[in-house]
Amino acid sequence: MVIEEILVYGAISGGVYALLALGFTLIYGVSGVVNLAHGSFYMLGAYMFFIFGTLGFLGSEPILASILALILSVLFVGILGGIMYRLVIHPIIGDDVAVMVATVCVALIFQQLVLLGFGTSFPPVRWPEGSFVHESTQILGVTVQYSRILAFMVSLGLFGCLLMFITKSKIGKAMRAASQDREVAMLMGINTERLYMLAMVVSAMLAAVASIFITASTSMSAGAYMWLHPLGLSFSIVILGGLGSIKGSLLGGFIIGYAEQAVAIAVPEGGAIIGVVPLTVMLLVLLLRPKGLFGKRVELEE
Amino acid sequence: MHLLEVENLTKRFGGLTALKNVDFHIDEGEMVGIIGPNGAGKTTLFNLISGLLKPDSGAVKLRGENITGLAPHKIVNKGIARTFQIVRPFRHLPVIANVMVALKSPRGARKIEWLKTMERKAADMLEDVGLSELMLEPAENVGHGDLKRLEMAKALATEPDLLMLDEPFGGLNPLETDFLIKSIMRMHLDEPSRGIVIVEHKLYALMQIVERVIVLHQGEKIAEGTPEEIAKNKKVIEVYMGKGM
Amino acid sequence: MRLVKSYLRRAYSSFVAHVFDVPPRFMAFLLFLTLLVLPLAGLDTYYLSMLTYANVIAIFAVSWDLLVGRTGQISLGHALFFGIGGYATGFLSKNLGIPIWVTIPLAVLVGCLTAFLIGFPCLRVKGPYLALITMAFPLIVWRVIKWVPLYPLFGGERGIIGLPSFFPALSGSIVAMNARVQAEYYLTLLVLFVCSVIIYKIANSRTGIVFMSILDDELASKACGINVTKYKLMSFTISGLFATLAGCMFAHLFGRTATPSMFELTLSFIPVVVTFLGGIGTIYGPIVGAYVYAIVDRYFLTILVPKLVDVPPWFQHAKLLIFIFIVLLLIIKWPRGVARFTTDRLEDLEEARDLDERGPRIWKRYKTRKKK
Repeated sequence: MVIEEILVYGAISGGVYALLALGFTLIYGVSGVVNLAHGSFYMLGAYMFFIFGTLGFLGSEPILASILALILSVLFVGILGGIMYRLVIHPIIGDDVAVMVATVCVALIFQQLVLLGFGTSFPPVRWPEGSFVHESTQILGVTVQYSRILAFMVSLGLFGCLLMFITKSKIGKAMRAASQDREVAMLMGINTERLYMLAMVVSAMLAAVASIFITASTSMSAGAYMWLHPLGLSFSIVILGGLGSIKGSLLGGFIIGYAEQAVAIAVPEGGAIIGVVPLTVMLLVLLLRPKGLFGKRVELEE
Repeated sequence: MHLLEVENLTKRFGGLTALKNVDFHIDEGEMVGIIGPNGAGKTTLFNLISGLLKPDSGAVKLRGENITGLAPHKIVNKGIARTFQIVRPFRHLPVIANVMVALKSPRGARKIEWLKTMERKAADMLEDVGLSELMLEPAENVGHGDLKRLEMAKALATEPDLLMLDEPFGGLNPLETDFLIKSIMRMHLDEPSRGIVIVEHKLYALMQIVERVIVLHQGEKIAEGTPEEIAKNKKVIEVYMGKGM
Repeated sequence: MRLVKSYLRRAYSSFVAHVFDVPPRFMAFLLFLTLLVLPLAGLDTYYLSMLTYANVIAIFAVSWDLLVGRTGQISLGHALFFGIGGYATGFLSKNLGIPIWVTIPLAVLVGCLTAFLIGFPCLRVKGPYLALITMAFPLIVWRVIKWVPLYPLFGGERGIIGLPSFFPALSGSIVAMNARVQAEYYLTLLVLFVCSVIIYKIANSRTGIVFMSILDDELASKACGINVTKYKLMSFTISGLFATLAGCMFAHLFGRTATPSMFELTLSFIPVVVTFLGGIGTIYGPIVGAYVYAIVDRYFLTILVPKLVDVPPWFQHAKLLIFIFIVLLLIIKWPRGVARFTTDRLEDLEEARDLDERGPRIWKRYKTRKKK
């Protein structure tokens, strides 16, 4: 029974985590920015969903309202990401250390703002009552809620969309060019500033989407410190998969998803320390194979 | 036994083969030049010998000892020093401190004479290359020609048995070029057993200094001989000038 | 406007030339002298403990700056050592009853060992990887230390409470308590002074030169025959040493507890912020930054502003927010630190003066420059 649980839940987690990590690796690959506020976008996605959902102006049809809330939240967070890029990151884009410190600052600011606005309460983030997502089905003998299956499918779907976007579209190609060699991309006339901003917007939106689907299907509530776990997940997955690699985010997401579920299910009192899992995996990767699975940036020489 | 032996060195970067079966040797006290059109793999060769890169196959031996793939600092401490094509000074440190870094290495520290302090030795080295006036100036304020000399001083600080210079004449005006030629000759006279390998594009300067020339083209050694022989070598001329001359 | 600027510049030059030409070390000494006599000037115990807090944070920040500002290795997880310091000394002194003056060195030893052990994997990677890996360690410990099965050892969420004080004899009466606060202040000041001097000496030694070479160009340093990993490890261990010390002192002075919050990201972030504020790569930078932080946090925002303005009840929670916001603004404007920016500008001014009056001044300038 335990094995099946791990298999099923691991897969579901994996899919959604991959999406989360994709955002992180996207902005790093394209612009070299290690966005430590990525977890904050995750958190804000959940909070905005709550806010838009309960403001009541979205009509009385719950499913429609949920969808609208979802779209609005994601857009809002995306715009926030763009603003953050323009105001905070762009002025200091050359200095890697300063950028990292600045993004942590932003993350802490968001945390404090949430604390101020909501105190220590945990606003609910859930799909409308009575809708089918709260039903469950059986996969491999394990009871799984539809909400989680939905999360899984949406995540993979979005992942696929984004993959197509990056490989087929002009902007996507520009992003790939920038991620391979920034200077050359600039020389070829690509407006890197706007490209980076776009990457940030997309990255933030991905985090928000992942957040809403994960939160609504698992903890169903938001908290001011909820940005730490996704941040840890994001960078662990990305390091495992290789900074800047999309394939890596996918595979890494699944590996870490499985590892987490394995610990949560098989280890006594495991649920409390699942946060340790991604970080430990990351440490192991950095010890044994810093490049990760598909990493491109080898830290051999400058 | 040769001072340096490079045996069938091959290095690939993804699909590109930068060096293919390069094979040559350097003896004590020899002055050898390595030339070749851009992209021939000269700097890659230096990087492989000095340990910044690991070859895909082949070996590098120093006095018979296999040093292939050793960490760069270990190779320096065994007696191979190199300069960089694009100078790499320590920008925030004063010029004298730049040299002191090299003197702090195990080999550099060993080579300091009895009763001399590290600062004294650094100051002497700077005097040898003519940088005494700029001793306390932060490296970031120093001009390009002087930085090249600093690069040389840093390489010499560890008293290497094999000195590798990567385009030392790059960006120098005729006066500086002349001075450098004389400096290298003097270096050779001061330390007759030291081998010197120079990668260079300015052929007229290089040919005055070296006894033997190795020519690389697209990662392969295509010719080897005295400067006169190389100057007349049809293949070399073709490679530099293109066919049909 | 330009006219005003040039006039100001000339005024400053002549002022400095004729009145103020004292070497920076003398200034620092004067500053310490001032700090030394503050308690005698009758400073209130609240402010004294605020300054004690500043001293501890300063030690923490100076340790961080050695690693990041001098060797160029980014650590976003220095709270690891801070927490280890607190918990090690807490565990040894509370649970095993060992006296403080033994537990603190032991705790520092533990911290050093940790730095040495994690140094190996950490320092093989660079840039963002290093920042992330250093960030991960304290986060891991933070979760594990709260784990229920480990409660008997580490006290779970609550931590280890009831640590012995530095001056157990000074308690009971108000007079004794005042004396204790003063004593604690002097203790931290002394430790800060010693730490600063040690780190200053290291930074200005030949080893310090090697550290800076690693900061400037790691590859070129290797090409000079330097075993870069060895030096990075050295710097990491020394940094860990002082950070652990800061943690020990903090645990015994403030609240007399060792709590999981000592491993929090916010705490990792304090030396970063504080050093950026003051100026990376200097001795005075982190110290100035620490003092500014302590004063802004515990005086301005806690006492002064509420007195001047009617603050809403949630103001307490907004303090951190305001502070971080200010730091963010500062980072964007001056990525290398405010105090550093100021001293750089001042140095530029001085250079302009030198060009005006050549001669003996230039040699003296070079002499002070040598101390980099």
